[in-house]
Amino acid sequence: MRLVIARCSVDYVGRLAAHLPTANRLIMVKADGSVSIHADDRAYKPLNWMSPPCRLEEAPGVWRVVNKAGEELRITLEEIFSDSSHELGVDPGLRKDGVEAHLQELLAAQPETFGDGYSLVRREHMTAIGPVDLLCRDSAGAHVAVEVKRRGEIDGVEQLTRYLELMNRDPLLAPVAGIFAAQEIKPQARVLAVDRGIRCVVVDYDRLRGVVKDEWTLF
Amino acid sequence: MKFRVERDALADAVAWTAKSLPSRPSVPVLAGVMLRVADGRLHVSGFDYEVSSQVDVEVQADADGAALVSGRLLAEITKALPAKPVEIAAVGSHLELVCGSARFTLPTMPVEDYPTLPDLPQSAGTVDAATFASAVAQVAIAAGRDETLPMMTGVRLELNGSTLALLATDRYRLAVREITWSPADEDVDTTALVPARTLADTAKTMGPLGGEVTIALATAGAGEGMIGFAGGPRRTTSRLLDGQSYPPVRSLFPASFNAEARVPVSALVEVVKRVSLVAEKATPIRLTFGEDGLVVEAGGTEEARASEALEAAFTGDALTIAFNPQYLIDGLGALGSATALFGFTDSFKPAVLMPCGDDGEAVPGYRYLIMPIRVGR
Repeated sequence: MRLVIARCSVDYVGRLAAHLPTANRLIMVKADGSVSIHADDRAYKPLNWMSPPCRLEEAPGVWRVVNKAGEELRITLEEIFSDSSHELGVDPGLRKDGVEAHLQELLAAQPETFGDGYSLVRREHMTAIGPVDLLCRDSAGAHVAVEVKRRGEIDGVEQLTRYLELMNRDPLLAPVAGIFAAQEIKPQARVLAVDRGIRCVVVDYDRLRGVVKDEWTLF
Repeated sequence: MKFRVERDALADAVAWTAKSLPSRPSVPVLAGVMLRVADGRLHVSGFDYEVSSQVDVEVQADADGAALVSGRLLAEITKALPAKPVEIAAVGSHLELVCGSARFTLPTMPVEDYPTLPDLPQSAGTVDAATFASAVAQVAIAAGRDETLPMMTGVRLELNGSTLALLATDRYRLAVREITWSPADEDVDTTALVPARTLADTAKTMGPLGGEVTIALATAGAGEGMIGFAGGPRRTTSRLLDGQSYPPVRSLFPASFNAEARVPVSALVEVVKRVSLVAEKATPIRLTFGEDGLVVEAGGTEEARASEALEAAFTGDALTIAFNPQYLIDGLGALGSATALFGFTDSFKPAVLMPCGDDGEAVPGYRYLIMPIRVGR
């Protein structure tokens, strides 16, 4: 990742012609060859950019970024204030189920969320058809299978139902009760869960991870 | 089954039972109301496995029997009927309803598929219906609606000798009302956490009937985990919430106050409503008490601002305290007195709202504790 802060003007020559007059800007040259020009505002969109594959030709005072179609981003540099490069390595990417995994981790650490006397047996308890998120014991020592979702929908209830059916065939586990835990449970999913004897628990992600809202409460 | 009934009595009975029916029944029969005629009376009942409601209506019965019909539909029909006697008869798999020149035919569902309604638990005592209704209304406003804290969505009943205490809190405010009742057992000492919405609905419908409300609570055995209320011809049962670890909220009330203010309730409610027009969602209104009275303000330096002064008798050091306007209005509205007595510790500690009598003293029985909001100054 190369970061250049410079006073520059930018011209785009191609299907669309565009011109950015001279100003101080941030030019980002990324490892894949892409170049983007940022102003000092907004978080999501450069002023102008060239997507990869493209190549950068550096000449004194003028950079030309050209892609396969022959389109060209021409950056005319008047003064360079800063030019630095950093090796960022491979990014793990945005994990879409990050919250769900974190919820599972938090609930595993705080099984009492499901009721007094609940304890964790293990996370990702393996069944023949896949892992059930949490296997717990209630205060009486009976097994409880917990499916953790961000949004509780019908699919999640079906999934838990399948696990419960299988687990209840295991004489070492049976009887296994079910808990469907989510930040938000759709009314349809709730009806189905309750009809199948599965308890619904709505969990507060912020409270579980100890994020205290900036407001006073009585207790 | 065949009977003749007054339109209003039928409409009331059906409307009340239909209200507790589930909107998404997992079993179709649960969307029905059961009409059962026996001994010259009609029993109308609804049930969703959590809450059951049943009401008796006097009818001219021609033939005993039972029928199960869609509750919502029957409620809408009876509400729209002209003020004439209604004749209802079960004919085969249909229910015939005739009122004046209007005639309805409704399909019925199999009666034998309908679950048995839970019996009313053993009576724990009785309480005056109107007193109970007003007490519940005063307290239920403070109950929470956040499902992630199920315990806060209930009203806690504390049955202790001849004192019946009702408590509710959503962690931002706390309401406590104490009334006297007639317990079946003088030495009773137990608690129950009742879903606030069910309790509020029940008390509201039983209050105007007058007389007494029977509170039925099983301590052990059959009916455990359930509470029942019976008033006039109506009775309802509800599953209790788990209140084992209900926090000791009574200790939150301060023992003494550093400052007190006496403010006319209706004037303050009007002022708060007016001033809070500029308070955006989740922003507080600020109350500044001093020797000259009370100034209510809202809004910031950048946004719209409002302020209004009103008279208030204040003792103690001048103080500015900020509240959620809705929580304050809820509390003021629940006092049931012309004057509100505020008890303050300081700007950061909970304030107590009490009804104030003509003598300037707090009227015992009701307390509303409200947490101030932090404000940057």
